[in-house]
Amino acid sequence: MTRRVAVTGIGVVAPGGIGATAFWDLLAAGRTATRGITLFDPAGLRSRIAAECDFDPYEHGLDAELCRHADRYIQFAVVAAGEAVRDSGLDTAAVDPWRTAVSLGSAVGGTTRLESDYVRVSEHGRRWDVDHRKAEPKLHLAFSPSTLASVVAEQFDARGPVQTVSTGCTSGLDAVGYAFHTIAEGRADVCIAGASDSPISPITMACFDAIKATSPNNDDPEHASRPFDAHRDGFVMGEGAAVLVLEEYEHARARGAEIHCEISGYATYGNAYHMTGLTSEGLEMARAIDTTLEQARIDPTLIDYVNAHGSGTRQNDRHETAAVKRSLGAHAHDTPMSSIKSMVGHSLGAIGAIEVVACVLALKHQVVPPTANYETPDPECDLDYVPRTARPRTLTNVLSVGSGFGGFQSAVLLTGTGGRTR
Amino acid sequence: MITTEVTFEELSALMKQAAGITVDPRELKEAAESPFDSFGLDSLGLLGIVGELENRYGQSLPPDSERCKTPREFLNLVNSTLTAGA
Amino acid sequence: MSNRRPRRAAVTGIGVIAPNGLRSDAYWKSVREGLTVLDLIGREGCGHLPLRVAGEVRSFDPAALIEDRFLVQTDRFSHFAMAAAALALDDAGLGGEPAEPFSVGVVTAAGSGGGEFGQRELQKLWGQGSKFVGPYQSIAWFYAASTGQISIRGGLKGPCGVVASDEAGGLDSLAHASRAVQRGTEVMVVGAAEAPLAPYSMVCQLGYPELSTLDDPDRAYRPFTEKACGFVPAEGGALLVVEDEERARERGVPVRATVAGHAATFTGASRWAESREGLARAIRGALDEADCAPEEIDVVFADAMGVMEADHAEALAIADVFGGRGTRVPVTAPKTGIGRAYCAAPVLDTVAAVLAMEHGLIPPTPNVFDICHDLDLVMSQARPAELRTALVLSRGLMGSNAALVVRRGDESAR
Repeated sequence: MTRRVAVTGIGVVAPGGIGATAFWDLLAAGRTATRGITLFDPAGLRSRIAAECDFDPYEHGLDAELCRHADRYIQFAVVAAGEAVRDSGLDTAAVDPWRTAVSLGSAVGGTTRLESDYVRVSEHGRRWDVDHRKAEPKLHLAFSPSTLASVVAEQFDARGPVQTVSTGCTSGLDAVGYAFHTIAEGRADVCIAGASDSPISPITMACFDAIKATSPNNDDPEHASRPFDAHRDGFVMGEGAAVLVLEEYEHARARGAEIHCEISGYATYGNAYHMTGLTSEGLEMARAIDTTLEQARIDPTLIDYVNAHGSGTRQNDRHETAAVKRSLGAHAHDTPMSSIKSMVGHSLGAIGAIEVVACVLALKHQVVPPTANYETPDPECDLDYVPRTARPRTLTNVLSVGSGFGGFQSAVLLTGTGGRTR
Repeated sequence: MITTEVTFEELSALMKQAAGITVDPRELKEAAESPFDSFGLDSLGLLGIVGELENRYGQSLPPDSERCKTPREFLNLVNSTLTAGA
Repeated sequence: MSNRRPRRAAVTGIGVIAPNGLRSDAYWKSVREGLTVLDLIGREGCGHLPLRVAGEVRSFDPAALIEDRFLVQTDRFSHFAMAAAALALDDAGLGGEPAEPFSVGVVTAAGSGGGEFGQRELQKLWGQGSKFVGPYQSIAWFYAASTGQISIRGGLKGPCGVVASDEAGGLDSLAHASRAVQRGTEVMVVGAAEAPLAPYSMVCQLGYPELSTLDDPDRAYRPFTEKACGFVPAEGGALLVVEDEERARERGVPVRATVAGHAATFTGASRWAESREGLARAIRGALDEADCAPEEIDVVFADAMGVMEADHAEALAIADVFGGRGTRVPVTAPKTGIGRAYCAAPVLDTVAAVLAMEHGLIPPTPNVFDICHDLDLVMSQARPAELRTALVLSRGLMGSNAALVVRRGDESAR
């Protein structure tokens, strides 16, 4: 069974843009939301910059319990899911809850909370035999990332398959991909899909310091995330969430919903190469793109825009450029490819979903978001990276790709309404 | 301040500790021009060794340290930095 | 499309690293005999905690099974997973690098991540400073570590995934793998392993209202009895090789079982009374997908939470689906001898189900003698029976319910 999968709602909590409208304004203007870290004192770290969300849970109507006890990444997800459900016009009381699924991704889950409680129970890292009496109540909710999908499912009364996806930095794309399969193959009619992470904490910043993956450009944080630019020096940590309401196409039509676009393909592969390293050939990401296009029966020359992983590490940018050229051939040079991480940073598991929402908005507005801060071309990255300024363009088929620690390589294809022939 | 240089023995021990790579110090010295890859040491392993040395000697090593391709190149850079800093 | 029948996922390899046995034969021997290995936790730094009893994997020597360079960069949960994956691939006759790397994928379920590794690095960060955090923290703690390392170690480039969906996620991972096979991937390495018995990980679990804090190993985990006082956690897990059934038959390896059907539902964290309907719907969904009538189920591997209300809901869910036969279909819960290894618990149960069908023997439910629910729970000793089809149930502390139907290898040719 293969059923069509429509996007009927979107919601986003991104640095510099909470809500789809503010988020798109940021992208379309090419503004960056990267800055010095304020969420904790980053003194002593190599990278002391991040893209943070100015987020107050009380402003977004979360109930007191969630405001007080839920982890930040869960609050993000509930707010983004609320916006997506409102945008879809779905009356959750009128749909069959047993046919409503949840598929949410997170790379590091509750680690921020796990760390803050760790500091208390270990007396600042002095004890291995930690003192449980110093832990805050409800710490168990941070233990497993399954709390994410569980809390969102409870909020929206979803009782179908509910899963948390945790494939590192492709979690967001994969969560959307799993949701796509769930609906296409008939296990649910509606799926709340997306991802969330709030990784701006000492341990996560320190672990990327240790491998020098993050940018040390602390003096100029607004210009620190420079994907594809010859002077890039690592990624800038981000945080946030994005959620989509995916719906079986006829189900959406029958209730008269506005269909933003369709998810028309998804694939993922492992590179079986290295936990953090990438080859310069990009073979496995190319394979993910090829399989995605085959599923949708779309010729590579019909791709109008590639939303890149574009983390701003040298190896990523070269890997990805090679992969896109391998899959799209000569058409790659005619295809704009940009990275919104230049503006909203890299929110690990969340960013894949945030990028899918950026693609939905790009289709809606028929505008390609730019790669901010791109100034000096790298001879080994020779595609059209849409420097600094958003570009109007006729968009029908839009591809979002991602890769992450563990070797995951994923691709999601979105197709604008009217663009699909069967 | 250091009085002795980082030796092949110390590097061999660090490779074991930081990256789980077993290589006899004599072999390491004999094959000092061979790439780290050929011993099974990857970029993360070398980063771990750099971090350990920095903490051990209380001194930063240059960003090029983790880009060194061979044991000889690495030890030359490390020792010249540590000696200069001392 | 050809007129070939739909692809079906066959189990051709099993690898187990469990508290009661390393390798599937040792595990089966303990399970069959109803051996219990629950004991006071002996790990360093845990003795003072109010969680006293667990199922520890004590005889495991990771250095004997995994290269040093992988050991230093991974947590214990990945050690278990990598060792079990290698055992499963060997068992399936698929050791060594695959000829077609894209044809073999990996999916694991993970609920607790690399807690011991993470605690060590947190201790360095907060005790010594950020420069003491090592380069492997970035790849050892996160939930995707095991899938990534299994893929890299084996050269497996097929679809790779990680579900972190509660305990029931273990069954979801098996479904995920089976569906990848149905969509065209030849082979999937699938399962879960957990290592939640480091001091800080244990502190994190103390808030679960369902956790048993009794200090008597024989009484700490007794589901379906009036003395039920919660569950006991465990570590370890199992990985399986599932592959296209026709391919397995073509290459002449035994098809040990087929994954016939799966469904999952959600009824809210700790809302056990509501899990009755959730579990019943999951069972019906799995039976539907398997094209299987309730009468065909020969044995049920229960979730067996060990909480009175949850046990009652499970017994009622079984009655709801099986009707009058609900009190006669044999039910078992071998996990009472080893504890619940979170996402790995239902994977170990699935392994037990496959082995039970192969041996024509329903393993018993250790430590459980007097039950207070209307079930035919197999207790005391294993019961011989012709087993063609088994049902495995699982629920998670965060509210997921899942059911999986597996058929004996020779049954799937029907």
